[in-house]
Amino acid sequence: MTTPERGVMERVEQPTETPSNGEPAPALTFQAKNVSIWYGEKRAIDNVTLDVASKAVTAIIGPSGCGKSTFLRALNRMHELTPKTRMEGTVLLHGEDLYSGTVDPAIVRRRVGMIFQKSNPFPTMTIGENVIVGLRLNGVRNQKFLNERLEKSLRMAALWDEVKDDLHKPGTSLSGGQQQRLCIARALAVEPEVILMDEPCSALDPIATAKIEELIYELKARYTIVTVTHNMQQAGRISDYTAFFYLGRLIEFGPTTKIFTNPTEKQTEDYITGRFG
Amino acid sequence: MIAAKHILGTFDEALGALRNNVLMMAGLTERSLERAMKGLFDRNDDLCATTIADDEEIDQLEKQIDKDGVDILLRFQPVASDLRRVVSAMKLSSNLERMADQATTIARRARKLNRHPPLPEVDLIRPMYDHAMSMFKDSIDAFVREDVDLGCAVVTRDEKLDELNHDASRKLIERMAQDPDQLRGYLNLIFVGRCLERVGDHATNIAEDAVYAAAAQDIRHPSLTATT
Repeated sequence: MTTPERGVMERVEQPTETPSNGEPAPALTFQAKNVSIWYGEKRAIDNVTLDVASKAVTAIIGPSGCGKSTFLRALNRMHELTPKTRMEGTVLLHGEDLYSGTVDPAIVRRRVGMIFQKSNPFPTMTIGENVIVGLRLNGVRNQKFLNERLEKSLRMAALWDEVKDDLHKPGTSLSGGQQQRLCIARALAVEPEVILMDEPCSALDPIATAKIEELIYELKARYTIVTVTHNMQQAGRISDYTAFFYLGRLIEFGPTTKIFTNPTEKQTEDYITGRFG
Repeated sequence: MIAAKHILGTFDEALGALRNNVLMMAGLTERSLERAMKGLFDRNDDLCATTIADDEEIDQLEKQIDKDGVDILLRFQPVASDLRRVVSAMKLSSNLERMADQATTIARRARKLNRHPPLPEVDLIRPMYDHAMSMFKDSIDAFVREDVDLGCAVVTRDEKLDELNHDASRKLIERMAQDPDQLRGYLNLIFVGRCLERVGDHATNIAEDAVYAAAAQDIRHPSLTATT
């Protein structure tokens, strides 16, 4: 007599968490209110109001030139590095006005890290040095602390196992996907509150892209992530909320499942279904 | 009802071909149901045989629609109304195939009935047939025109079909008791009625899918909390 067969229901994996039917308002990391941004005379962002939920991934989509990268940069004041930039409106980070006169932009950028389209490890530094450079620049000298933070950051960036024996090698010796994860580890090392990503996978192959996407999924348990992407399928896969920008305006914002199954605005529908213009 | 052109002409072509195959399948299914019922009412074995033979073509179309739908999902990863149209088309084909199976079953039952003297009680089936076919045609119209109101209206008509089936079955069971010699014949008519009742169920499914395709509203099981 063989072992009795299990019943069908016994084969069903039980969820580890009970899904909630109610939808309580999510905690907010950013509250952008009536934000407008000009580059010289050109208005790049037009009166955008948008709340960014904590510990969730918010994707910003839209055609080239719609202002999505500008808006992303406004979340850590990086757009100010472009000459002749002017901004109106407010951006609150956990309720604190990022543009208040008493706030140091350098501190904002430490709290709100940024990952760029093209990975940009410092070419003269080793893998290890690249990760802890931010801490060193902030005056941290305790080698034990730096070593611990180095390993922790690389582990969080899902890179430790691949580079732990090569920490002395140049950061640029890594593959494109590894370099991007190295940049993520560098951003994580200073323990930011938020990670901004500007098309983080657009220069990567599908396997490297998948690793970054899995990493984003894991990181959102600890961090609020805002990402700009041109890849609609990627936005659908990785994000909890999606914002559609067009001509500097926020056309629609909502849960990603809603935006990608039943958008409210015709412009959104036309863009995501490939019927734009 | 597909409004603006897609930036990829190949996508419009693929979606158009998928919809055409669904409409072709709906047309063949409608014809099979009509032939099966005409075979029953007119005692015409040839029509019954044709219905049974045509089922293979409908089965092939179901496979083709599933293949084309998966192909579109794979190649274009459609979203929003495009995604709903593809998913609905695939679900429609499944319902149409089952409707055609009901037509085949009716044809087989009709052939059995045709071997014996005619039963006047066959007229008990006519109101059900008219009602089921009207639901079927309207459900397809709702899908083609993306007509939410018509789709919702079809769904509400299923209850009437269930009542008609219940009434016809009750009368046929009474006749069985009165005339046991014709028991097999009455039983076959009860099965035909059940087939038509299922045609109505599939028409309801199609109407629900039509509403989802058109408006992203899930109107199935209204007692459950909406999840979309």
